[in-house]
Amino acid sequence: MAEPNAVPRQELISTAWTEPSSPYQAPGSPGGTPGSPHWAPVGPHGAPGGPDGGEHGIEARGVFRAFGTVPALRGLDLTVPYGQVTALVGANGAGKTTLLLILATLLAPDAGRISVAGHDLSTHPEQARSALGWMPDTFGVYDQLTVDEYLAFFADAYRLPKGEKPRRVRALLSLVHLEDQLGRPVHGLSRGQKQRLGVARALVHRPRVLLLDEPASGLDPRSRVELRDLLRSLAAEGVAVLVSSHILSELEEIADRVVLVDHGQTVGEHRMADLVASGPNGMGRARWRIRAMEGDGLAARLAARPGLGEVGDLPGGAEVGPLTENEAADLLAALIAEGVRVVAFGPVGSALESAYLAMTENMTQSRR
Amino acid sequence: MTAHGISLVARQEIRTRLRTGRWKVLLLVWFVVVNGFALLFRLALESSAGFDWDVEEGVIMFGGVLLAVLVLTLLVTPALSAQTINGDRERGTLATLQVTRLTAGEIALGKLAAAWGTGLVVLGLTLPSLFLPVVEGAIGIGRFVVVVIVVALLVGIVCAISQGWSALLARSITSVLMSYMTVFGLLVVTPLLFTLAVPLTAQPVDGRYRSYSEEHTEYVWWLLAPNPVVILADATPRLPERGVDHIGRSAADADPLGDIGRSVRDARAGDDGDEESVGPVWPYGLGFNLVLAGGAVWVSARRLRAPARTLPEGIRVA
Repeated sequence: MAEPNAVPRQELISTAWTEPSSPYQAPGSPGGTPGSPHWAPVGPHGAPGGPDGGEHGIEARGVFRAFGTVPALRGLDLTVPYGQVTALVGANGAGKTTLLLILATLLAPDAGRISVAGHDLSTHPEQARSALGWMPDTFGVYDQLTVDEYLAFFADAYRLPKGEKPRRVRALLSLVHLEDQLGRPVHGLSRGQKQRLGVARALVHRPRVLLLDEPASGLDPRSRVELRDLLRSLAAEGVAVLVSSHILSELEEIADRVVLVDHGQTVGEHRMADLVASGPNGMGRARWRIRAMEGDGLAARLAARPGLGEVGDLPGGAEVGPLTENEAADLLAALIAEGVRVVAFGPVGSALESAYLAMTENMTQSRR
Repeated sequence: MTAHGISLVARQEIRTRLRTGRWKVLLLVWFVVVNGFALLFRLALESSAGFDWDVEEGVIMFGGVLLAVLVLTLLVTPALSAQTINGDRERGTLATLQVTRLTAGEIALGKLAAAWGTGLVVLGLTLPSLFLPVVEGAIGIGRFVVVVIVVALLVGIVCAISQGWSALLARSITSVLMSYMTVFGLLVVTPLLFTLAVPLTAQPVDGRYRSYSEEHTEYVWWLLAPNPVVILADATPRLPERGVDHIGRSAADADPLGDIGRSVRDARAGDDGDEESVGPVWPYGLGFNLVLAGGAVWVSARRLRAPARTLPEGIRVA
């Protein structure tokens, strides 16, 4: 298995994030195809990776961890392929942060086999560390340092070559749009700016695997969009990105895959496309909100149709569902054919949110 | 573990510490207070020593100031390292350090080096008033060098133990308290224990005319050994002989360090011997404290090791 340092790495910031004038390219980086050539699409339930365990950024099987007598993880499985953004979704206390701490080599699992960037965490955590970037949900910064000193310190801690350090620090600062903070003390940054500095810190050593715990919390809308673009561009360059978040509508735009975690177990690994689109598996069901011109008898016509789920009355409209996109389209066509002048017809909330809520609903029911 | 990693952590610690600003003021106040009091002490000695022809003020000043400096420095030291690890954990800066390529040993030793280094600066600021008797010729340069080395070692020992507490305990307030308790234990509890233990060693002796009990300090002298004052006093080279006084003692009069050293060796010798018949006490005390400090460094490195299996009660990793 190749050493992570020996693999020529595409410079992480070769996309729109770099200043156009920056001449910096990692030596020996292949000028094209940054994406990981050996990532295979993963089926709905996480097809196993290659036999050597190095096919994916992260492979975790049967991870258990308890704190005292309280189990946090109970046989969790996870696959994070290179070149994709995988979202870790689950309720508070589902074990997301515990899992990320274990993946970040800070916490030892009680049982389970985990490899990060092809390195077994139980035997070679230090090798995994040099291939791994981690941003915790809450973290402190050295308040007394300036922004660039902060990044330079971590560049040293990751043993970046001396000559590369200043350029790397400047590139990272422009990557997270903090270049105007150069030389300013860290304690003067806003919460969102500190969060962005944290992202830059996690990227200092060009990790091939990136773990982010609630990265969007505390970010303003503009920064969220930028974070999303950053993660997408990192994934496009072949980095395996794992993001945990509560903001489901946002994950829908960022993530390629969704791993649903509940009570310390994986309850589903899905492609985002499968999850939000309607299909035979029926995962893409959402409630739909309909508004029509008054006097067209929308409520009566909805009441007359079977299979619409729970029909709720709204001022000037109604809410139906859950329906797949197919069913919703049929309903819309029928309503229009019947002469209802529909002015608005759309899903309520995000499809991921609906899927997540439906799934956790099912689980609470099945547990009873 | 590399020297580069250790020095990186140490420089980072010192840099963040110096930037807080109030350190410079504190050090300045410390410098003025300690040296000011030492000079006042000296002036008081000068004006009261007129009647005593064989008292050398330089020797008393050296011993008195040195003991004060030792105790004061040891009281300052826990503040330097008793929250380096759990304080970082509370601030959320430890975990980001642990996921880098720095090893647990580098972090532990780097933090210790920074704390010890700061302690040595604190010690160094007291040296001008200690150096005065050397300039006067009352104290040899060799004696001066030995005491500085011993105090520096003791400061390092307390730094290491305090850091061990900060690695073991989740709350920095608790580890600061425990560090002060440790210093208190070494300085105050050891002589207290010794004093309480001496009566227990008493054995009845049937004399020719009456029975009496005899105390055997040679059984419990080791209780005194870990005491920093004892270590310093006993490790300090004896002053050269200067005539014989009426009880047959032949060292310089009124030498606080020599007095303590002699009485500890007397305790070790018991009633049957005298201080010259037994070896020094300080190697045992210093050795014991060094083992304690080594253990503390080992504990803190172990606690910093990631992935962690067990965590201190009630903490979050990050």
